[in-house]
Amino acid sequence: MVVSVKVFKKATPNGKVTFYLGRRDFIDHLDYCDPVDGVIVVEPEYLKNRKVFGQLATTYRYGREEDEVMGVKFSKELILSREQIVPMTNPNMEMTPMQEKLVRKLGSHAHPFTFHFPPNSPSSVTLQQEGDDMGKPLGVEYTIRAFVADSEDDRQHKRSMVSLVIKKLQYAPLNRGQRLPSSLVSKGFTFSNGKISLEVTLDREIYYHGEKVAATVQVSNNSKKSVKSIKCFIVQHTEITMVNAQFSKHVAQLETKEGCPITPGANLTKTFYLIPLAANNKDRHGIALDGHLKDEDVNLASSTMVQEGKSTGDACGIVISYSVRIKLNCGTLGGEMQTDVPFKLLQPAPGTIEKKRSNAMKKMKSIEQHRNVKGYYQDDDDNIVFEDFAKMRMNNVNMDD
Amino acid sequence: MYLNGEQPYVSYLNDSSADGPVLPMGHGYPAEYQHLVHAHWRGFRQAPIYYQAGFYIGFIVLMILSLFGNGLVLWIFSTSKSLRTPSNLLILNLAIFDLFMCTNMPHYLLNASVGYIVGGDLGCDIYALNGGISGMGASITNAFIAFDRYKTISNPIDGRLSYGQILLCIIFTWLWATPFSVLPFFQIWGRYQPEGYLTTCSFDYLTNTDDNRLFVRTIFVWSYVIPMVMILVSYYKLFTHVRTHERMLAEQAKKMNVKSLSANASNDNMSVELRIAKAALIIYMLFVCAWTPYSVVALIGCFGEQQMITPFISMLPCLACKSVSCLDPWVYATSHPKYRLELERRLPWLGIREKHLTGSGSTAGAESVASVSGDTLAMSVQN
Repeated sequence: MVVSVKVFKKATPNGKVTFYLGRRDFIDHLDYCDPVDGVIVVEPEYLKNRKVFGQLATTYRYGREEDEVMGVKFSKELILSREQIVPMTNPNMEMTPMQEKLVRKLGSHAHPFTFHFPPNSPSSVTLQQEGDDMGKPLGVEYTIRAFVADSEDDRQHKRSMVSLVIKKLQYAPLNRGQRLPSSLVSKGFTFSNGKISLEVTLDREIYYHGEKVAATVQVSNNSKKSVKSIKCFIVQHTEITMVNAQFSKHVAQLETKEGCPITPGANLTKTFYLIPLAANNKDRHGIALDGHLKDEDVNLASSTMVQEGKSTGDACGIVISYSVRIKLNCGTLGGEMQTDVPFKLLQPAPGTIEKKRSNAMKKMKSIEQHRNVKGYYQDDDDNIVFEDFAKMRMNNVNMDD
Repeated sequence: MYLNGEQPYVSYLNDSSADGPVLPMGHGYPAEYQHLVHAHWRGFRQAPIYYQAGFYIGFIVLMILSLFGNGLVLWIFSTSKSLRTPSNLLILNLAIFDLFMCTNMPHYLLNASVGYIVGGDLGCDIYALNGGISGMGASITNAFIAFDRYKTISNPIDGRLSYGQILLCIIFTWLWATPFSVLPFFQIWGRYQPEGYLTTCSFDYLTNTDDNRLFVRTIFVWSYVIPMVMILVSYYKLFTHVRTHERMLAEQAKKMNVKSLSANASNDNMSVELRIAKAALIIYMLFVCAWTPYSVVALIGCFGEQQMITPFISMLPCLACKSVSCLDPWVYATSHPKYRLELERRLPWLGIREKHLTGSGSTAGAESVASVSGDTLAMSVQN
């Protein structure tokens, strides 16, 4: 039986050292994180007495490259893990099944390597840029690289260095939990008696990307004012620990006057449906997205989860959270009242039905896109490689089917 | 040197014994322009021809440098897309002010050739007006560049000034330059007069009236103290921000047990703080070099020993601020990595070799995604 396994391969410019990686997404399960496992193939004649070193590094970019002046760089690279890959320093290293397969397949010049993400390392997140900004993306990115040198601190030559961008992600826990997040506020008015109370309840605590968020709003008006309209937002809260900055962006919104005005003494119960989608926020500056390697699997950044017993304050990089915000407009004199209900937006864990469904959706979309936009890729020299790859991938998809 | 100073006769004799007939400053002025020459200058001898020639050559060199440097900045910043950012508009504005100052150079060369201000009252006023607007404009633009840099660096995500704000700043620089160059032009407050070898013009810092003293004092604060304070405060805050930011990042890296924290791709060992301090110091020193001579001469002329201001001494400030207008493009633009890349691309004969980013760590962005995907292969592994 032949099972097709996709393997990512990248070679140095001179073609002497090649990375083979079974996957490029590594999952942080909170209590442990998938190690980066792969294999390196080196031509021994080329290596002579030199060694191959590997590094796992994360790059924080927190400002546009075009704004860099006075020798300031708005990016920092942290080398999280470094290791000598060839010759192997630890001969008793346990290989993962993928590595075993690859080593068997690639022969005696294949050397397995494993990198571990340190605890507290942030997830891959990209901050979206406006329009045609071609600079490097802002956010957190991971790279693995290997280079040939006599010692680790030697000057690294571009032609004998290979680096590959990988992602570190978090998946939702298998169990979505039973708790229904809700929030209750009430507002009194300066010159009149009585209060308006607002209760918002969500139908879930954890949503998957692309799912509908249902917020049930209950308004009971015991005041003498009336509610003119209701606004409903999904707010993405982004905290960038690298620069100690935070901001909030609306990623979905809706305003309604249905059932309004809610006159004194009246009540209203209504459910709002909103879908937070990256596709609806294209080209908006500062929207956080999950780290993505190809344009078609863009989704909004997943909520950052931290291990139990730790607060998000300890998290590094870019910390994401979401909330539903309901605003009641109580007229010009009454002002506004609002409440936020936090929820989590996450990727479904592999193996769950939702994951399979979302994968199928993605595949369909990507096939469609490649059929439609083929012409687009031919415009640009740089993208020719990409197109070839896209064709190849389409064939694979078809074969899989 | 003095014809009517404290020890007039002795110096007169000593100096003149070798040089033949002694002619006072301003003797070469045509009769109708004689009223332009302040009595102070008549106390000095005509400057030796080789001094005049030295300044003449110096100004020619400065003119060429300024036209070349600022012209390049104007050309490249306005035509290349990668340099089209709000902050760079300020650099363009500075180049415009510097070129504006350069328009005085041909006038000066003409004056120096004939030995008096060509155009008389009007010529002198226009010359000084140009100098005043461009000088004060450039100094306040320097201050705004410093402020903009502080804003950008202290809040790189969304702190940089928008196009609208920058345009306001630019309009403000022109408004800032106007009052103290227009008031003397119309002789409402202060006035312009020839200075130095009587071939350049500037505001009058020699007349000892209360009114004029107040004018000199005000212009000193307006065009020297205020911009300098802005520059100092901006760069100081910028520096302290970078220092705390570096510490904060190191602190976060420690949480992940990371020791190496490098600004990627640049492998130089100089710390960010040091680099910033160096760049800020250069810019600050440039400002000091440009405007301190003028301030000192003006203050001495107004409040101190006027005798110390010889024609030669009073030529120096003019030379200083004109040379800085040639240096500006090199300091601001040439330290700009994108500008250097663009220069290298368009004018390879300039011999600029920008360090290209080594592939390490900087493989990000669209191009790397494409190339990485291009290298991705599907391999069948038999079970």
